[in-house]
Amino acid sequence: MQKTKLLNVLIPVLSILLAFVIGMLIILALGKNPAEAIGYLMKGAFGSKTNLANTVVRAMPLIFTGLSTCFAYRCGVFNLGGEGQFLAGSMAAITVTLLIGHEGWWVTIVAVLAGTLMGGIWGLLPGILKTWRGLNEMITTIMFNYVATLFMGYLYTTALREGSVPQTAPVPDTTKIGRIIPDLRITWGIVVAILLGVAIWYFLFYTSKGFQLRAVGFNPVASSYNGLSVKRYMLTAFIVSGAIAGLGGACDILGTQFRLISGYGGGYGFDGVALALIAQLHPLATMAVAYFFAVLRVGSTTMQVGTGVPTSVIDIIQALVIIFAVAGSSMMYLPKVRKFVMNLFEKKEAV
Amino acid sequence: MNWNLLSEVLISAVRMATPLLFVALAELYSERAGLVNIGLDGIMAFGSLVGFLVCFWTGNPFLGVLCGALGGVLVNMVYAFCTVTLAGQQIVYGMALNIFAPALASFIYRVVFGVSSTLAQATLMKTVSIPVLKDVPFLGKLLFDQTPMVYGVYLLVIVTAIYFNRTKSGLNYKAVGEYPKAAETMGINVVLHKYIACILCGFLAGMGGAYLTTCYVNTYSDGIVAGRGFIALAAVIFGRWSASGVLLACLLFGFFDAMQLRLQVGTDLIPYQLFQMIPYVMTLIALTIFGSKIAGPKSKGKPYYREER
Repeated sequence: MQKTKLLNVLIPVLSILLAFVIGMLIILALGKNPAEAIGYLMKGAFGSKTNLANTVVRAMPLIFTGLSTCFAYRCGVFNLGGEGQFLAGSMAAITVTLLIGHEGWWVTIVAVLAGTLMGGIWGLLPGILKTWRGLNEMITTIMFNYVATLFMGYLYTTALREGSVPQTAPVPDTTKIGRIIPDLRITWGIVVAILLGVAIWYFLFYTSKGFQLRAVGFNPVASSYNGLSVKRYMLTAFIVSGAIAGLGGACDILGTQFRLISGYGGGYGFDGVALALIAQLHPLATMAVAYFFAVLRVGSTTMQVGTGVPTSVIDIIQALVIIFAVAGSSMMYLPKVRKFVMNLFEKKEAV
Repeated sequence: MNWNLLSEVLISAVRMATPLLFVALAELYSERAGLVNIGLDGIMAFGSLVGFLVCFWTGNPFLGVLCGALGGVLVNMVYAFCTVTLAGQQIVYGMALNIFAPALASFIYRVVFGVSSTLAQATLMKTVSIPVLKDVPFLGKLLFDQTPMVYGVYLLVIVTAIYFNRTKSGLNYKAVGEYPKAAETMGINVVLHKYIACILCGFLAGMGGAYLTTCYVNTYSDGIVAGRGFIALAAVIFGRWSASGVLLACLLFGFFDAMQLRLQVGTDLIPYQLFQMIPYVMTLIALTIFGSKIAGPKSKGKPYYREER
């Protein structure tokens, strides 16, 4: 048991290292100095108080979408709709804010609730299609993502457009989610994110409902023989994971971005899936991985300016980490490899 | 609606259906061998970049399509190794491809053309009209005045239909997707078939991607695939895992896409984004009405362990 746990930590760490080595080789192949690139990356991420704060700001939406994925996948629901649910949350939050027309903390709360609710609804729709018509959620959630993205386009070019530039009006100052330290951009949203992560971790691993939810994900047939309503758990997983992403969208628009513009929120949903997979669907690990990739992303902008290495090298590294991490854990199921590794452990213990 | 308009929309529908059809056939070959590949979007993105680059450098769209297809095979080999040899989860690797391949494509594009995006343009494939037949009123322009890719894909549909239903090798292939253990017992090399399936899938999906940059628009941009891989996945389900069904499904989805483009031009009153939603919403509606409770090849999505009893 202890060995499996060790492997669960060891495999992702090794994968990250291996992916980095390949990333460095790519940079080297471009004729750039990897050490210099890393230097710029570190400087961009940790060079000043503002930069450090930016990494936290960048991590917040990723934590939400990562947790959303975690929750759904643990119940066997392959929700790829984090993108759309995140946007649904942002759109509901900003629409409510602008429609109310007042300012103040109560508007913030109403907007956050609206965002969470809308995210939940956007998750419920594919959930209904899955449980009622048996449709593959991977296809339907992607379709809903595109619908949400296009609807956002409609909001900022037509319905809520302000002025000649295609964008919405900003969130009024007193409605914005407050900053923890006034001169840094970190908002209370990150506190919400972390508390949520801990709550999900506790729910999944230390409550009976959480256990049942995981049981449904692990083996739906056995669960239904044990009297669990598989459909109800799945539907719940759809709604909750959508709501988590929606809450993230609301926190992001009210705390960081303030208005909808072209390209808003792009990639958060898929990044969330990637992070959760690297973290082996563990909520606490997901938060750590989210921060790690936020660091890389913030740093990579400085790296691009400094060395001319495109930021998309980080995307490649991220994808390689998934490929290696999951390959690593599926290799452990192959009898030959398993035997070899277990032998290795035993030798170590003998020494 | 007059005849001209209808024929215009239908011609455009055939054009829009072609990349979908390539990719849906790719998925058909993959799922028939028991491999669900949701990484089609990623393979297409990489294929479209390779196709574009080769076309840009050599000025030869046909070479572009071929190289795009080979690029697709290359990317899909990652999926093949991880899901067949390592017996990993197919969904996860499909997802990994969806993240990996577009990132790689966008990275290569930026390395080639510099970080500041300059709009590079390549030549488009010319249409080849078939003499005599193209003069048939209405149908002539629709079916016999297209790019060779269009003719190719319809030929492929016919070949696929014959292969799966009328040849022994095709039945063997299907057996791998239905019940691999029985197939193995009968002396069919399951692992080899799965690898062949991955090569075909990568080749065709890469071709579908390359179609976008060599026949449809003459530039590459990030996000050019726009979920077509997933619509193709839906088309395979909708077409019930048969070549002719997939053809009809793709033509239907292509028609929605063409209609959407046409409607955008027609009116200023309704925001264009609502029209752009049509292909996605119609995919959902089509699946909801017709796509329920149909299962494809029985072992699809399941890893195959040769040693397991």
